[in-house]
Amino acid sequence: MDLIQLFLAYAKTGIKTRFQYHMDSFLLSFAVFFREASSIFGVYFLLLKFDTLGDWNIKEIFFMFSIISATYSLFIMFFMVFRDFPDWIKHGDFDRILLRPRGIFVQMLLNGADWVAALSHGAISVLMFIVSANSVGIRWNATNILYYIVTIISGTVIQGAIFVFFSAFNFYFSKNHGIKEFVFWKSRRFATFPLSIYGRVVQNILMFVIPFAFVNYFPAQYLLRKSDMAAYPAYYMYLSPVIAVVSFTIAYLFWRFSLRYYQS
Amino acid sequence: MSSHINHHLISVENISKKFKRPRSFKKENGFIKNIFQRDYKKAVDDISFQIDEGEMVGLIGPNGAGKTVTLKMLSGILRPDKGNIVIAGLNPYKDRKKYVAGIGVVFGQKSQITYDLTPLDTYGVLKSIYKIPDNIYQDNLERFCDLLEVGGYISQPVYSVSMGQKVRAELVCALLHSPKILFLDEATIGIDVIGKEKIQKCLRELNKSDKLTMIFTSHDMKDIENTCDRLMIIDEGKMIYDGSRELLCEKYSSQRIMEVEFEKPQKDIRLDNVICTDSENNPMSKYLHYNHSDVDYNEMILKLMNEYPVKDISIREPEIEYIIREIYKKNGRNL
Repeated sequence: MDLIQLFLAYAKTGIKTRFQYHMDSFLLSFAVFFREASSIFGVYFLLLKFDTLGDWNIKEIFFMFSIISATYSLFIMFFMVFRDFPDWIKHGDFDRILLRPRGIFVQMLLNGADWVAALSHGAISVLMFIVSANSVGIRWNATNILYYIVTIISGTVIQGAIFVFFSAFNFYFSKNHGIKEFVFWKSRRFATFPLSIYGRVVQNILMFVIPFAFVNYFPAQYLLRKSDMAAYPAYYMYLSPVIAVVSFTIAYLFWRFSLRYYQS
Repeated sequence: MSSHINHHLISVENISKKFKRPRSFKKENGFIKNIFQRDYKKAVDDISFQIDEGEMVGLIGPNGAGKTVTLKMLSGILRPDKGNIVIAGLNPYKDRKKYVAGIGVVFGQKSQITYDLTPLDTYGVLKSIYKIPDNIYQDNLERFCDLLEVGGYISQPVYSVSMGQKVRAELVCALLHSPKILFLDEATIGIDVIGKEKIQKCLRELNKSDKLTMIFTSHDMKDIENTCDRLMIIDEGKMIYDGSRELLCEKYSSQRIMEVEFEKPQKDIRLDNVICTDSENNPMSKYLHYNHSDVDYNEMILKLMNEYPVKDISIREPEIEYIIREIYKKNGRNL
């Protein structure tokens, strides 16, 4: 209850701050929206030419895309601070967190959501969901709805874990935008397409190193049952929550451990 | 270790802190060794002190002397590599959550007030963060806004107020949760003299009425002179003076400076036991530095009047800034 109150207090000021500059926020949300939309158009035109991509048709790929956008939208509501962590350290904002009588990690989760971006990604995901959800042959019964909700939560947590893990390196080196750029942004793009179209090395990376495959590919497989799933063990479709818990635990412990090297 | 009962509010024993420094490439080490080599710099080197409730202490030192690092260790941001800190029975680093609930911190360069919003917005968030009960929040808000004269712009966005107003609003942030100790790191940086005096007056009042313990760091000696009774001087991570302001002045009070204005510019003034320097703001003036016990005033002034076209003379007590510079110089010689 108390944490919800704290989250609302942060959210109120966060949104207020953003909308001090109506025009800026307005344009920024459009920019984010169109950047994401442009990559959707990329996929669209590609599939106009080929019809399917490794047995996946355009609606199914849109459905997968909606999962990535939805989880990413939630991700930036809670894990924004970890994304921008180098700046937080540089500007002394992290000192401020240490000076307040609340859990360090909790403060970071509840504080500093990028509402404009979260809303833009959320809008994309809802749009993609509306376009695809009813035409890809999913029966939206109770089990599947529950599965979908668990998928969204797990996907958010998995992406959070990736960022928490890499932000911990900032305690040792003040800058690591390079790793993050490669690891996160590029692999998020990879996750736009079905895993099975990639080579073995990329597949393994997306499954076991930066587990994006468990954010959208395997969950989508459970709902869509495509033929390329035959290449992977069937239980992978149920593994996302486990991956989420395990990866987040590892990331959290590593982050807590690294905190002692903080130099302010 | 804790066999003796601790009477002091703040007790610091032999703390040290070192930092990794950007590596300096040395030719003789070779490329690989250079890449993996680490340099360490001792930011704080074996410092101990005690502070009692209600004291106002100024930490003084040049840039990089270790005062901010010391303050960060006291406020629980940094963990000392060695040594012990106990404040109000707590370890600032290990008991962080409990400890920081009872302190207020103002960093001059890093603001905790949200730039785009009004001070009142920020206070509202702080109320949630510190779980301040409604009645205490209202009382404190009213009292501190009154004292620091924040009321007039409490509902204006912070970007539209002056630097001095902003710092005062910032001070209210640090006071809302009724802290027992206040840390101020270069808090009044960039404010004009009148604004500074206003803040200093408020802080002294709070110290008297609430027995609020305060620890300052500042470049500006005037700041410290006007608020602190006790000074700690730090240089290169070491404590080189810890004591009252009066004692410091007394110790060095034999130093005097005489400002002499002449009818026309002078090249050099030659008097026994007197060092002459130029005045920065008046080409007609010279500063004469001498030791009060080394010179005979009659003789000196007579000689001055006879041999030079003197227009005006004024004698000044040494400023703390000057005394401190002397201490650094001495420290350098001893090392």
